[in-house]
Amino acid sequence: MTKKPKAIRIKPPLTTRISKQRYLLIMLAPGIIWYVLFKYVPLMGLSLSFTDYGFRSKVSFVGLENFQRLLTSTIFWNAFRNTLIISLANIVFYFPAPLIVALLINELRSTKAKRFIQFLIYIPYFFSWVVVGSIFVNLLSPSSGLVNNIITKFGGDPIYFMASANHFRPVLISSYIWRQMGYGAVIYVASLTTVQPELYEAATIDGAGHWGKLFYVTLPGIRSTIVTMLLLNLSHVLLIFEQVLVMYNAAVYDVADVLQTYVFREGVLSGDIGYSIAVGMFTSIISLILVLSTNKISSRFLDEPIL
Amino acid sequence: MNAIKDSKGRKAFRVINVLTLSFICLIFIIPIWNVLVTSFAQDIDVMGNDYLLIPHSFTLTNYTRVLSSGYMGAFKNSLLVAIAGTILSMCITVPMGFALAQKELIGRNILMKAIVFTMVFDAGIMPFYIVVRELGLINSMGAIIFPVALSTFNLIIIKNFMTSIPTSLIESATLDGCNDLMILVRIVLPLSVSIIAAVTLFYFVSYWNRYFEVIMFINDSRKYTLQVVLRGLMFESDESLGGGTYVYNNLKMAVMVLGMLPVLIIYPFVQKHFVSGLMLGGVKG
Repeated sequence: MTKKPKAIRIKPPLTTRISKQRYLLIMLAPGIIWYVLFKYVPLMGLSLSFTDYGFRSKVSFVGLENFQRLLTSTIFWNAFRNTLIISLANIVFYFPAPLIVALLINELRSTKAKRFIQFLIYIPYFFSWVVVGSIFVNLLSPSSGLVNNIITKFGGDPIYFMASANHFRPVLISSYIWRQMGYGAVIYVASLTTVQPELYEAATIDGAGHWGKLFYVTLPGIRSTIVTMLLLNLSHVLLIFEQVLVMYNAAVYDVADVLQTYVFREGVLSGDIGYSIAVGMFTSIISLILVLSTNKISSRFLDEPIL
Repeated sequence: MNAIKDSKGRKAFRVINVLTLSFICLIFIIPIWNVLVTSFAQDIDVMGNDYLLIPHSFTLTNYTRVLSSGYMGAFKNSLLVAIAGTILSMCITVPMGFALAQKELIGRNILMKAIVFTMVFDAGIMPFYIVVRELGLINSMGAIIFPVALSTFNLIIIKNFMTSIPTSLIESATLDGCNDLMILVRIVLPLSVSIIAAVTLFYFVSYWNRYFEVIMFINDSRKYTLQVVLRGLMFESDESLGGGTYVYNNLKMAVMVLGMLPVLIIYPFVQKHFVSGLMLGGVKG
């Protein structure tokens, strides 16, 4: 990414370069084969969304029929709505959480305490969604869960969190925060150490208070990390899947069914492949637009764009 | 940053900060602690509806029961997939990352663009499913290894780290007559121990934790991994949903500890490698 003028070098012919780099090319080969097979061949498979692939042995072209079906399906719109609500809640509640915690950790004086808390909150990131889901089932259980024990102590009625349409989405968001927050926080803490101390000294001389330093030195200093984390988050926020697949149940389908679980049910379980590819493609394209437009907007605030 | 004299407000802030962070620590400690305590509790302690935080008893019965049960088969499957998968993944990722780190590599820019593109645009579940099916992998362990053998994220971490290794080292080795393979093994790998440790853990955990690939590609219940049977145990006999035979919580938690075991064992050792290694490459793709 550096823009230094390059020395003009005369490249040797391609065949010589290939034979010179033969070991490098051999090392690349398995990886390239993997990318072609599992990332690029599936991209070609997207063309099946214009067919009725799945039910008959003979596949025929159906044009935009699958997309018409999708636009008129109430289950699709319900899944679409749920995905948007969950994603939005995710951005609003999850995205700032690691940053705030990292800023708090950064204010600690003891290095040991700093290390310990990062060590601790990073742990759940390595648990599967099944384990995290189970931990929440346990914590929220109507009979023996901690939360309901506290509620009943204060005279309330136990809440069936996992089976309640009103509570299921907050459970999804909180478990998401619980699992993912440490990862973000650790990255932000590391990024905070790269902010130059002289900037703080200069700000102190200029009479900046703690809030002033936060807004004029700290946050601008880590802005490229913030944007990267946002882009990373946006690139999979609409593709939320495994967490829901693990945690949802028939009682909360209405509020929990997201686009990816809908695709999974229609495609893998019902075998309506052409149609489910159309739904998946719709999701992927919206996701791509979201990431690219955020990248475009954010590049104005950064020295170099992230993507 | 250290003010010479803390103002009163500043002191109050420090106190509140420590309290807030302690509370956050509890949110992380309590649920995990409860799982551990419950897994060592006797039946009688879990019959009441307490959320155990103070151990009343200590017994290994739950574990001996789990070890002699059908869950061990799933545990072995998980272990097999995770070990075989991690080895395969490292064998693909490390050489590829090394090759991509060499600035003179033919087609390097195009390759990097093609790789980063797969991070922003995903073909989705179904096309992926069809590819795996057409490869004849359904119902084989290969289906939960090959399709996820490479992680672009890990690849970029390794590539970025290896890019930061001084070229002079590599050039002098070339002059000594080393080929690229020897350079990787003799010079680059010994310098990359931290990053290799971190990425190995990432891969191992990602295989160990897989759930949806298993239920999507595997129909034979004897080939199920621990996560799949754990999900069945925890969610399908959830009392709030009714149905299912009742299993005491202490037994469930013992299975859950098995599900978290590798992480709990490996993580403390590898953790110190993380931050330094991860930061170099992790975020900036």
